[in-house]
Formats: sequence, structure tokens, C-alpha cells
Amino acid sequence: MASTSTKFSTLPAKDKAAILSITGLAVLVRLYKIWQPSSVVFDEVHFGGFASKYIKGRYFMDVHPPLAKLLITLAGYLAGYDGDFDFKDIGKDYIEAGVPYVAMRLLPATLGVLVIPLSFLTLKAYGCTSLTSSLGALLVLFENALTTQSRFILLDSPLVFFTALTAYAWANFQNQPAFRSSWYWYLFLTGLSLGATVSVKWVGLFTIAWVGVTTVTGLWHLLGDLSVSPKQYVKHFFWRAVFLIGVPVIFYMLMFGIHFICLVNPGDGDGFMSSEFQATLNNKKMVDTPADVAFGSHITIRHLNTQGGYLHSHDHLYPTGSKQQQITLYPHKDDNNLWLVENATEVDVDMRALPPVYLRDGDVIRLQHVSTNRRLHSHDLRPPVTEADWQNEVSAYGYKGFAGDANDNFRIEILESKSKPGKAQEYVRAIETKFRLVHTITGCVLFSHKVKLPSWAYEQQEVTCAKQGTLPNSIWYIEYNEHPTLPADAEKVNYPKVGFFKKFAELQSVMWETNAGLIASHTWDSRPEAWPYLRRGINFWVRDHKQVYLIGNIFIWWLSTAGLVIYALFKIVTILRWQRGYKDYSLPSVQAFDSTVGTNFVAWALHYFPFYLMKRQLFLHHYLPALYFAILGVVIAWDLFCKKVLRHRAIITAATIGILAIAVYTFVMLSPLAYAEPWTKYQCENAKLMKHWDFDCNVFPTDLSKYDSSHIANVSSVDGSVVEASSTATSSFQSAKDTIGEALPPRDEL
Amino acid sequence: MAPKAPTPEKGGKKTKQQSSASAGPVSSAPAPDTSTVKAEEVDDSSGPIYLVAKPLTPAEARREEIYYNVALFVITILSFFTRFYMLFHPDQVVFDEVHFGKFASYYLQGTYFFDVHPPFGKLLFALVGWLVGYDGAFLFDNIGDGYTHNKVPYLAYRALPALLGSLTVPVVFLTMKHSGYSLAACLVSAALVLFDNGHITQTRLILLDATLIFSMSCALYSYVKFMRYRNSPFSQKWWQWLLLTGLALACTISTKYVGAFTFFTIGLAVIIDLWNLLDIDNGLSLKQFAQHFFARAFALIAMPFMIYLFFFQVHFWVLNKSGPGDDFMSPEFQETLGDNELALLAKPINYYDTIAIKHKDTGAYLHSHSDRYPLRYDDGRISSQGQQVTGYPHKDANNNWVILPAAGFPENDRLGHPVNGGDIVQLYHVVTGTYLLTHDVASPYYPTNQEFTTVSPEDAAGPRHNDTLFEIRLSNGKKEQFRTKGGLFKLIHFPTKVAMWTHTKPLPDWAYRQQEVNGNKNAQQLSNTWLVDEIVDLKDDRMKVEKKKVKQLPFMKKWLELQIAMFRHNNALTSSHPYASLPPEWPFMLRGVSFWTQNDTRSQIYLVGNPLGWWFATSCLAVLSGVFVADQLTRRRRYYVLAENVRTRLYNSAGFFLLAWAAHYFPFYIMGRQLFLHHYLPAHLTSALVAGALLDFFYGNPGVFPVAYQAAAAASTKAAAKKGQVVESVVHRLQPPTMYPPSSLISYAVSGVIIGLIFGVYWFFKPFTYGDPGLSVPEVLMRKWMNFDLHFAK
Repeated sequence: MASTSTKFSTLPAKDKAAILSITGLAVLVRLYKIWQPSSVVFDEVHFGGFASKYIKGRYFMDVHPPLAKLLITLAGYLAGYDGDFDFKDIGKDYIEAGVPYVAMRLLPATLGVLVIPLSFLTLKAYGCTSLTSSLGALLVLFENALTTQSRFILLDSPLVFFTALTAYAWANFQNQPAFRSSWYWYLFLTGLSLGATVSVKWVGLFTIAWVGVTTVTGLWHLLGDLSVSPKQYVKHFFWRAVFLIGVPVIFYMLMFGIHFICLVNPGDGDGFMSSEFQATLNNKKMVDTPADVAFGSHITIRHLNTQGGYLHSHDHLYPTGSKQQQITLYPHKDDNNLWLVENATEVDVDMRALPPVYLRDGDVIRLQHVSTNRRLHSHDLRPPVTEADWQNEVSAYGYKGFAGDANDNFRIEILESKSKPGKAQEYVRAIETKFRLVHTITGCVLFSHKVKLPSWAYEQQEVTCAKQGTLPNSIWYIEYNEHPTLPADAEKVNYPKVGFFKKFAELQSVMWETNAGLIASHTWDSRPEAWPYLRRGINFWVRDHKQVYLIGNIFIWWLSTAGLVIYALFKIVTILRWQRGYKDYSLPSVQAFDSTVGTNFVAWALHYFPFYLMKRQLFLHHYLPALYFAILGVVIAWDLFCKKVLRHRAIITAATIGILAIAVYTFVMLSPLAYAEPWTKYQCENAKLMKHWDFDCNVFPTDLSKYDSSHIANVSSVDGSVVEASSTATSSFQSAKDTIGEALPPRDEL
Repeated sequence: MAPKAPTPEKGGKKTKQQSSASAGPVSSAPAPDTSTVKAEEVDDSSGPIYLVAKPLTPAEARREEIYYNVALFVITILSFFTRFYMLFHPDQVVFDEVHFGKFASYYLQGTYFFDVHPPFGKLLFALVGWLVGYDGAFLFDNIGDGYTHNKVPYLAYRALPALLGSLTVPVVFLTMKHSGYSLAACLVSAALVLFDNGHITQTRLILLDATLIFSMSCALYSYVKFMRYRNSPFSQKWWQWLLLTGLALACTISTKYVGAFTFFTIGLAVIIDLWNLLDIDNGLSLKQFAQHFFARAFALIAMPFMIYLFFFQVHFWVLNKSGPGDDFMSPEFQETLGDNELALLAKPINYYDTIAIKHKDTGAYLHSHSDRYPLRYDDGRISSQGQQVTGYPHKDANNNWVILPAAGFPENDRLGHPVNGGDIVQLYHVVTGTYLLTHDVASPYYPTNQEFTTVSPEDAAGPRHNDTLFEIRLSNGKKEQFRTKGGLFKLIHFPTKVAMWTHTKPLPDWAYRQQEVNGNKNAQQLSNTWLVDEIVDLKDDRMKVEKKKVKQLPFMKKWLELQIAMFRHNNALTSSHPYASLPPEWPFMLRGVSFWTQNDTRSQIYLVGNPLGWWFATSCLAVLSGVFVADQLTRRRRYYVLAENVRTRLYNSAGFFLLAWAAHYFPFYIMGRQLFLHHYLPAHLTSALVAGALLDFFYGNPGVFPVAYQAAAAASTKAAAKKGQVVESVVHRLQPPTMYPPSSLISYAVSGVIIGLIFGVYWFFKPFTYGDPGLSVPEVLMRKWMNFDLHFAK
């Protein structure tokens, strides 16, 4: 293996020429008609939308870290985008709205182009010949899925780029003599690109796992090398830790720092965050509220553990149980969150007219819903969704003038450990006091959990009275407090300020939970077992008899999979032979094969198998980083095969060209789906090599000349009802991969 | 050739232990540890060292044997006492007795039920109920229901887990003994289980865990015994213990699916064992290796699987009547049950029948009325303005559809043509005189789904004919006769292949808040399933309800269907429970589970492990892992801290227990379903084994331990000589047949202190284990360790 680094400047002229020409070709192939289609494609709905929100500074929640979205925003911003377009639906037109979408698409496209020279240099670092390195770069270039994915405003092209950069830096690091400046440089570059990878998508953690596994095995070998003194060993260990742990962590947090700096205004992501967090956003800063809560106060009560929001009621009845008025948790500020605190023993007295009597631990109260005059009520009926024995229904019951009954009584129990020390542990104080509400008759405790009520309650969160509920889900506090007779100079309170680290930590956990909650099935999702043989693609966009459909280059795809299978078999056979006393492993070529192909095989496995553990919805494009490593592995194996078996230059060249020709042919055959180019139904059906590929050939005309007609959308005879068809077809992706829509707080229809 | 009894006196005990092979009782192979041979370079002058201890005299050995037996007797008595003490209390349904008591009753009544656990453990309870002549009338509906006045033989039921729980303790003791640990170590391991409040609580109630833990401990024990005979392969004893391992494994996995972890443990050990047998240095030919391989494959995979299936067969034999589990199964399955409503009422459907079609999940009928879809929806999309097709939950004339053949029969020959699965049909709406149709227009709520509407007979016969064609696709995929009730089907639109679907979100007022019906492009979804509820105005001879013969299905088909349903259901058990807990909390015994409370006596049953015992065992796991890591790191730098034979034994025996613990613990991390503290009990048992092993490692007499028997060794030497191999290499590995390593005084002292402390904590928490006596507030508060959320603390 080369002991020098594979930097462009140090390469021989022949290789420089190869890289330049391949990269030039990549620019042509990847950027070809990048303005096409000129409307929103697939998840541009999300990632374009996020760019708008960044520019406007509106807070949003996404399950992906910010780096790639920030880069896309930057590209749009530099091209003069003002953030006014909402990217709401697939198929929404860019041209009319004047969105600089080409500039935004150029960012992932450029990164996609840069992967090509990177793959060449990485293969060189693994000791491949210039010919096979070129072959590898061209196979990456003519991969339809990588091409399609890099042409739109999506995160996977940046992800693949940073993954490839990591692979490049890491391969070079292995070749450097220890503690030279180049050694430090490649170690640093590895750490930096790891940080970038994981700042694009969390699947970058798999890349970190790969570097981690190879680092640990490397350190294990070093440990057995007695020529390395303990002091040197500590140095090895220390610098790896600094660059491979410290650098990525700092980089990752830095990205979130920028994220928070950009998003200063409230937006549709607020509902995911805690009240303290929301209070850091402009306009969302809560007005100071009087600290002391008294009988007769109007209050809003928030649930502490979930972000379900405020204790809420509205003029709708439960269809089940008591059929009384619903009680829910509602995430937004609303007059229906307002409750009047009554003394359970003196309901008739108008406490709002009297001087304030402050609420203490142990007081028995009734809560009257201000807008409907019904009182919070519980009884021995099962709640609508959670039909457990230990749960009781909570409803709003009564009418104006009704004095209430004993089932309306709740006792306040202050949780000292969770409340602010001092007065808040004795008296009920807004924000500072955390308390439970115990139903005095049944002893159950007001409770809520992340269970949504059906549509009849607008999918708001269920509130119950639980006899055995967990403590965190039974804790409430008062956010808003108002009493007419409180003196004007009464003590005020507000949320405590939160710093960057707290915000960072909170956002991480919210992202994690949201991500884990994305389990709804999607029309175009797929499971990992289907990826290696390219069972099915993703429909990105259909309009005007053109289509964008994510599908891989099946030849390259199967070639890489076949390579993986062959490697696994090879490995099993050699290990078994080793145990039976054969000496295969003393051959240098076997060792080389094992280490260079092996490390890429491990990278593939670590980027692939963890998906089996994920229950969330998965898509074909999740396989792309693994595919990249599979291609590298198979090309390295091919290189060794050429060197050891084929040997003759002419044969090798011919075989390489043969492989390339098939790859390019397959690429061209499927390329209209990547570029949204005109196609005929006949060509489409011929390109459908597997029966599970579900791009719709019916959208294409029988004859290319049909595209010349300017009235194509209206005169087509392909399907009788074109207007209707496109209305279903284009809008059929409206909900496409609705990562955020799933989790957005539902709208109250009141 | 193997000795009948492991008596120590067989001569040859003076052989010095000098070989590198020092495999423990559960070691991987009779061969020298290959890593030793390969890793220790010959040029390393210091080389591995060996510890050699003085063997026992015959008299000493006899005395040791007596000590072990006395100890075994005592702990068995104690074990029975701790498990059976106050078994009658409380005479009420406690915690999950709700489920397993109920299942026993279903078995006794023969009514079909559905549960996510395999049948063995539940069948045992049913067997007990049957033996005491109980009829299963009580259904264990609520926690706290009284047993006495319901005349439930609950003592007999509870005696089963108590018996198995009691026997678990001696099995643990014997496992340690036959792994060659000192008496002190055996006692510590046994005491950790014996005086564990968690094991006691869980194994004296009508729950499956006693069966699970007992079977699992038997599997470990049998495998340890099996490995003792590894030097006389294919001998009778060898086969006996191998088959017993398989049997125990089968019982484990047939009780609960977490038994798979035990399979995993034994499986890994077997793979390591086979790997070493494969080693060329071991001298086995590939044919011999294959024999080893297939013997294990048969005994540990094939035979357990047959036993597992057998329990399901018994399950199906016993449950032959219709019951609460019917709805989980397919119509074919239900028809194998006696008195099944489906089997009774299902009627064949013919063309030109008027039928009412019902959605399986939501129970809504396919409905249409003369109102039309509004031109524009709120979001600006446009409809076809066709007649509305909705889902309506009540019976109504507008639910009536006539099922017509795509081609049509002549006017005079319309009766008696059966509709079959796979047929292409039209549906004619009787009241409005229109035909059902779907087309490429977005539905009101789902832009991705197709709108369902109806068209006039002219259109249906003319331009829109193709769009009115639907395929009846039966859920079982067959082309058989289409029937009411049982014939679950999807209605697949013939040209576009969408499936008719409905959901519970009501349409706006323009459709009277009825359900939306639309065409789902994902035809695979189970929620696309419909059934024909009835044939309206049925007049011909199909009217008569005749008692049908119960059908038969092949066993494998029934089993496969049930198995799939069980797994699907198990994965869906994700709802939260107030006492559910997560794996990281378990080893530290942070929080228990409230099983039962009684207000007037202030008594409660609260599942909590013996905290001291758990913490001790957990710290032993950490220490052992630390020893392994330190050993690996130092050896990497060519420091040989441990004596070679001590080390091998530590890896092969204690390492096996640690592996068992990891296999019974870590898989829970990737389980999505709700978990409880009692899921840790099998892992806790293995951690107790680790604790004993570690005690011997630190305080025992590590140089002496039992390995192979002289006779077996001699036999294999002879066999080797016959084949002309180097005899020396076999002789080299011979170990003195010493059993019973004597405990050192210090190890007795240490174990005495540990056992004493554990007993004290057990006694302290006893009131929560037996639910008696009730405690005052300060007494409860005193026991509120960690996050124990006890009742009556106020």
C-alpha cells in the first residue's frame, strides 16, 4: 500500500488528467438540466420549506441535525431568496414564484459531483491502480440513485459526500507514519468530516461506529506491538480521542449553535419544546405573571412531563363513557385553557371580589372551566382510549349556576422536591410550584400521557385520573395567573432563562423521540431487506407526462451486492480452512484482500444492518451510504483480481471497459426517470426490469412526438381524464414522507 | 466407558497438571485451548505458569461428599419452606394471576383463547386443575377477586410454581457443584436465589415464571453435566445429558419466548465447543466432526422443536370449542372450533343476491345515498360530483347491494350461480339504481386515494364499464366459494388495483358525518378487509341453519397461523403500564412492582428482589468483566498474571455464566414491548452463578478442579493410539479426577458473612413477599429503599 497520502497535488500527471476528465464528465452528467422539473419534488417540500423558515427565522422542529439544511439555506440566501415560498405541495411551481431553486439544488448537486474525485482518491489510497480507481469513480458517477438524489433539495447528497470524505481521510490516515504532520492532518480531517456527517443526518453515527470499530482494532494491534512503548501508546490513544471524539462533538454542537442563532422567532416547531425553551423565542416571551395563586384566580394549568400543553376543555362531549364534556391537553394558548379556582367548601362565594386567599398545599379546590362554566370532574368510568382498570375518565360537568358535586373536588398536593425551594413549597405559586391534583373521593390523580384521543377530540392528548399513574405524568403547574384583587405591585414570576447547553440537550431528546415516533407506514417506504437487490424505488414527482422516480443502477447495485456475498463466503471459507490447519493467511494477497476489502465490507455492514433495528419508516435512499462502501469494496476486490489473476493489461482494460459499458448502458436506460425527460410508454415498460418497480408507465405517451404538442396536458389520449389524473397523481405526494406533519400539534377547531 | 458415578477415587490422581488443557466443566473442548497454543509464542521464555494443588485423599473426598449432600439437603428444605410459607395467603387474585388463572380455566372448559405466550406453562396449570377435579368455572376477572367463596383450588394451582421454584434452588447448587466449585461457593450461589424475595414472590403465584426459571436452570445444569462427559463422546451418559439439555430447552421456550435467550446461551457455547472440535490440532476427522455436529443439531434444535410443536398440538386438542380467542384467528381456523358462530351462520353467496357489506375493523356498512360529493372541498381540490359512497354503522336499506357478474347471465338462468374468490363482479346499489365505481379522482380526505362513487346503468354498461369492475379477493387467497361472515375479502378495483377502504374520521356535514370510503393504493393493508354481513331477503334453501360438522385443518397450518398471530400481537404490546420498567434499572434493583394490596390490614405484595443480593451479584458481574478486560490487556503486553489453568477455568466456567447472564439480559434492550422487573429473574439466577464462581476465584483453592475422568482419558488415548496418532498429545491433557475442591477457611468465612447479610435483608423485606403482616407507616418508610413505590407509606 502506498505510504504517502493521495492528495491531488502529489498525483502523477496521468492521474490528474484522469481525475479532471472524470470530474468534468460528472459535472455534465449530474448537472444536466438541473432546472428540470421546475416544481417541488418529493421532500423538497420539507427541506426547501426549512430553508424558508431559516431565512424568516421561524422556529421549526425536524428530526435531522442542521448542517445540510443550513448549507441549502445559504445557497438560497446568496441567490437572493427571500423565504416567501412555502414548498407546501409536491408539484408546486417554482418559476412563477421566482424561487432560486436552481441555486439551492446546485448545493447537493455540487457535493454529489465532488464525491466522484473523492472516490478516485480513496481507491488510490487503498492501493488500486489508476485504471480501477477510474472505474470505481465512474461506477459512482453512473449510479442512478446517487444521481437522482443529488439533483434535488435533499439531505442525502451532503450525507454521502461527508461520508465519502470521511472514508477518504480515514483511508489516508492508515497510510501515514505515526505522529507526522500528515498523520495529524488526516486524523483531524477524519474527525471533522465525521462531525459534518453526523450533523447532516443521525445515520452519520454509523460512520462514527465504523471509524470507532476500526480505531479500536487498530489500537488493539498497537497494544500487542511491544515496540510501541506505553508512553507512545498513550499518545496514540490521546490524539485519536481528541480528533475522533472531541472534534466531531464540538463541530456538531457548533451547528446547533448556528441553528439557534438563526431561529429566533416562534414558528410551527414550538409545540415540541418545553415552555422554558419557547420563552427564549421572540414574541413568545411570556409576560410576567403574578406569583401567588388565590381562590378566585383565573389560571392555566400545564402538564410538566409531556409537551401536550394546557389542561383544556371545549364544548364537545365524549362519545364514550359518561358522554360528558371532553377534557384534553391542548398545546396552544387559547381561552379554553382558562380555569377558575374555587374553594370546594365555599362555591357560592365570589372569590374574585374578595381580597386574595392564597392556595396552600392540601387545599381542596374545584376547577371551573371559564368559558363553559363546567367543572373538572371525575368518576368511576373508563377513559375513552386507555381502558385500564386503574384509569378513570375525567370530564367537565355541570352548568352555570350549578353548585357542583363532590366528584368535582380535587386536593392540591405540592411536590416539594420538584418545586422551587422556599415559599413555592408551601403555597401554590405560578411556574415555581409543581403539584398533583388528587381526586378526593376516589384518590386517583389527574394524569396525562402521550396518548392521542381520536378525531372527535381533534387528536388532542388524553387526560385521565389515574390510581397508579407514574409520578412524572401526574405533575402539573400553573403558567398563567390572574386575580382582580391582587395588588398591582404583587410579586411576578417568569420562566427561568435557559442556556445553550440546556436548549441543545432538550432539542436532542425531542428529535430522538420524534424520530422514534415516525412509525406510520408510507406509500413509498421500504424495509432494509429489500434494498440490496433493489426491489423497489420511490416515486418523487409526476407531472405533465414526466416522472422522477428514485431507482438505482441495477447493474451496479447487483454487482456490489454480489461482491459482498462473495466476500462473506470467502471469509467464512478461509476461517474454516484456518481452523483446519490451512495456511491461506500467510499469503500477502489474502491478507491485503482481507484488510482493504474487509474494512469496506465492515463499513457497509455498519451502514446497513442497524436499520433492521429501526422501527421508523425507512426509504430506499437510506441505503446510499452503504452502497457507496459496497462499490468501493467490490472495486478494490476487482483490483486485486486484476493484479493476481487477469494480469495481462489488455485483458484488464477490456474487462474494465466491458463493466463500464454495461453500467453506462443501464444508467442511460433508466435516466429519464432521474432527469424527468420525455419517455415513451414502450421505453418505460422495457426499462422495468423487475416486477416490483412501480413507476407508472401509463403517465408516458405512446409516442415521443406527443411532447411537441403544446396542449399535451389536455389532448393526451393516454388516459381519458387528464385533469383528474394529475390532480390525484401530483397531489398523491402531498403527504409524501410527511415527517413533520405526523408529529405536528393538531389544530383545535374551536 | 464413562464412570457411572463421579467418584473421585480412580487412580491417576497423582498426575501432575502440566498440560495447557485445563478445560472446566463447561469448557469448550477436550482439546487444549488453541488460543493458548497459538498465541503463546514458543520463544517466550517466561511462558505460561500453572498452579498445582495437592489432591484430596480418599477419606477427605468422602467427607467432602457428605458435606455437599448435607448442605444440599438443608438448602432444599429451606427452599421449600420459603416458597410454601403462607401459600394460602392472600386468597384473592394477585396481579397476573388474572391472566394465567383465567387461561387454566379456559383449558379446563376447552374454550379457545388467544395469548402471546406458548402453551407449556399454561398447560401445566390446567393439568393441576384437572388433577384436582376443577371445572374452570371461575374466570379470574379482577385482581382482588376472592378465591375461597368462588371455590377455586388456588392452593393446588400455586403449589405448582412453588414446587418448581423450590426445586430451582437445589438445581443451582448442583450446577455449581458439578462445575467443580467449593462448597462455600455453591452455598453463596444457592443462597442468592434461595433468599431472594423476587424469586420467591414470582414463583409462588399463578404465573409462568417459575416454570420458565426452573426449565432454564435445568438447561444450564444439564449442559454443565453434558460437558463433564465431553471426553467420552457418544457414551450413554453423554447422550443422556445432551438430550436432557434439549428437553429442558424445549420446556423453557415453550413457556415463554424469552426462553430463546437460553437457547442463545447454550447455542453460543455449543458453537464455541464445535469450533474447538474443528481445530486441526484436536485430531478429529471431518467425519467425526460431522457426527458431533449432527448429534448436537438433533438434540438441541430438531428434538426441542418437535417438543415445542407437540405442546401446541396438545393446546389444539384441548381447546376444541369456540371461545374468546376466536376473533384473533382466520375464518378457516374458527370453523375447526365447536359452536363457532361463523361456522354456524356462514352462507354461500350466489350472483344476484342482495348483500350488506361490512368493514371488518370499523364495522361500518358500505353505504350510498342520492346526495353527491360537493364540487370543491375546503382545500380547493375538485371532486367528480358523483353520488356519495360512505361507511354507515347502522342497518339501512341503503346498505343493500346486488352482486352481479361482470358478463351477466341470461335472464332465465340467474339463480344458483355461486360467486367465487377471484371473480370479477359489479355491485348494484338497490335504492338509487346505480353501480359502484372508483376512478382516478382524489377522495375527499386523502389526495393519495381514489374516490368511490356510483354511476347510472347506462354509464355502467357503456363508457364507464371497466371502472365498475371489482375483483373479490379472498383474504386466504383461495378461489373457493364466497360466503357471508367467514369470507373475509378485499374488493380490488379491476383496472386500477386499488382496494376499497374506510376509516373512522367522519366526513363533513354534507355526508352526514358518515365514514369516508376510498380506494387505497396500498392494497396489501389489512385494514382493507371487508366481509359480507348477510344476504338480505334470503329465501331459498340456504335459509336453514343447520348444525355443521366441525372442520379439520392440518396441524402445521393451524400452528403457523397461530404463531404469526402471536408474534404480531406480542410486538403490539407497547402500551405503558404504571409498573413497567426498563432494563438499565434491573441489575440495581431500583424499583419493584406492586402486585396486591389490602387496605384494612395495610398489607401488600410488592415484587422486589433482595436488594443486597442483587447488588452483590451485579458487582460480581462487573468485577469478573474487569478481570477479563485486565487479563486481555496485560497478556497483550506479554504479562502473565494469572496461572494458565486458573485462567482457562475462569474463562470456560465463569465466562460461560457471564455469557449466560449477558444473553438473558441485553436482548431486552432491543425489545420494544413493555417490560417488567420479573424479566430479569433468569439473568439474576445466572449472576448468582457468577458470584459463586468469583468467590472461588478469589478465596477458593483454584488449582484443584475436576475435569476429565481417567477412564475416559485412557480410552481416548487408546483410540488415538489405534489410529497411529501421537499418543503423547492426548495423555498430555489428562487431568486428575479430583472432585470437590475443599473450601478454604477464609472462603467459608466470607460466604458465611454474605449469606448472613442476604438472609437479614430477605427477612427485612419478607412482609412484602408474603403479603403479611401489614406494616405501619414508619415500618413501610424504613423499607422504602431506592425508588420503591410502596403503598401505605402515608
